[in-house]
Amino acid sequence: MVKKSVLLHFGASLVDKPIITGLIRDYDVSVNILHARVTPEEAGTMFVHIEGVKDKVSKALDYLNQIGVRLVFPRKNLIWQEAKCTHCGSCVGQCFPDALLIDNKTGLVHFKHELCVACGLCIPACPFGALESVDQHVATSQK
Amino acid sequence: MTKTYEEINQKIRKGKAVVVTAEEIIDIVKEKGAKRAAQEVDVVTTGTFGPMCSSGALLNTGHTKPKMNYKKAWLNGVSAYCGIAAVDLYLGATAIPDDDPANKVHPGRFSYGGGHVIEDLVAGKDILFEATSYGTDCYPRREISTLINIKDLNSATLLNPRNAYQNYNVAINANSKKPIYTYMGILRPNMNNANYCSAGQLSPLLNDPHYRTIGIGTRIFLGGGVGYVVYYGTQHDPEVKRTDNGVPTGGAGTIALMGDMKKMNPAFLRGASMTGYGASIAVGIGIPIPILDEEMVRATAISDADILAPVVDYSEDYPEFKGKPLAQVSYAQLRSGKISVKGKEIRTAALSSLPKAREIAQKLKKWIQQGKFLITRPVETLPDVGSGVTMNPLKERPVKKPALKRHFRL
Repeated sequence: MVKKSVLLHFGASLVDKPIITGLIRDYDVSVNILHARVTPEEAGTMFVHIEGVKDKVSKALDYLNQIGVRLVFPRKNLIWQEAKCTHCGSCVGQCFPDALLIDNKTGLVHFKHELCVACGLCIPACPFGALESVDQHVATSQK
Repeated sequence: MTKTYEEINQKIRKGKAVVVTAEEIIDIVKEKGAKRAAQEVDVVTTGTFGPMCSSGALLNTGHTKPKMNYKKAWLNGVSAYCGIAAVDLYLGATAIPDDDPANKVHPGRFSYGGGHVIEDLVAGKDILFEATSYGTDCYPRREISTLINIKDLNSATLLNPRNAYQNYNVAINANSKKPIYTYMGILRPNMNNANYCSAGQLSPLLNDPHYRTIGIGTRIFLGGGVGYVVYYGTQHDPEVKRTDNGVPTGGAGTIALMGDMKKMNPAFLRGASMTGYGASIAVGIGIPIPILDEEMVRATAISDADILAPVVDYSEDYPEFKGKPLAQVSYAQLRSGKISVKGKEIRTAALSSLPKAREIAQKLKKWIQQGKFLITRPVETLPDVGSGVTMNPLKERPVKKPALKRHFRL
């Protein structure tokens, strides 16, 4: 059995489709909805735990991908958006469990999610908004 | 052996110039010695990418019909300065929207300011432009609200009064029991972290400590495009104490820069939000240093271990303009992730991006190797030690009725 934490983003065209129903019925996985915000004719965001046999969970994720749901995999309660990151390392000074680290050779920031305690201290330290909590991510992606 | 600017440019034009970065030159000089390195290498490229508040955009929107003389103006809600000619504007990187809560709920987020507008402009996004005026016979129009795009502006020029600081403070919080929110980032109590902001051995002015080749007119990499050094920067202070190799031991020289924003790239001009402090912009700068002789190659071979920075308390000493640095540390120590101050081991973090600085130095190197970018002899050098240019505090001469009260008739 595996459990995946996934943030699902639906575009307006997907909001009126019974996606979660399809997920449970056709892929035999259990879905625990932790946070959801779906606005008719606009867009939706849902934070879920998908649990089941490894093979079935990966097929379920493939299905979501295929129908056009955007998947974001947050680590603990923290999302590091590498595309926005300039690898300055401002966050590293705030990260006491050393989950955010600089590779001495390349100078690049690395995120070891298994060490993250989701304290959130790094979030306001990033000048480029590259670090977000899941709640913040849900709120801003609704705009 | 010496080389002239023209000889180096001849080689660049023929695609035969030997160009290396300010990091690569360190080992070359170590292996071959300064004499041979000076013969073999023609240009050393530097790079830096960090928040630089003293930056902004000089824009000319083109005239409206009927004509208008902007007196107040906003770009995406961020106010721009209009105290110049009719449709000229200056948008400062740290400007914030009139309705931004700022620090009313401390610490403020400052999620969108002038720096972000500049990034959006350069990215080619449409920007909401609003302006008002009082109207005159020649400029009758009183208001406007329209979308604008950088490609339609007559000109969009980056005009940065102070960039690329030659060395800088390392900031810590030594005396406050709470975290403090500064332009040097968030500083945790009890000296729990130290923030620094310099590209060290890659930084432009640290590789030319006495401003021999970087001067007024020098062509540079600016924000992904081409720019120029137009003057010495505000607060330029060559008199700061230097080590034996001539490198200042704290913030010293600065440069004022200009360049065409239409040819820049948003990857090298990024709006920045300093929590609890304000909005800013991270600017990418790269400057080529011609290897005229052995002295120049020795200067560019400077390494992080030989550059010292002062550790300054930002909870009392910096805001109150008092005290002395708590320690001097090298950039090699800062890069290691830990420094020691007053017997305490402190974790370090940079606000200036090393990978971006490397990328800029490599890009500039490629431009020169391909013969696309020529080096320039300065029209005038920057003020050096003994020039009389230095940085002084404001000498206040208080008046009985403060100007503010008089202005508002309080």
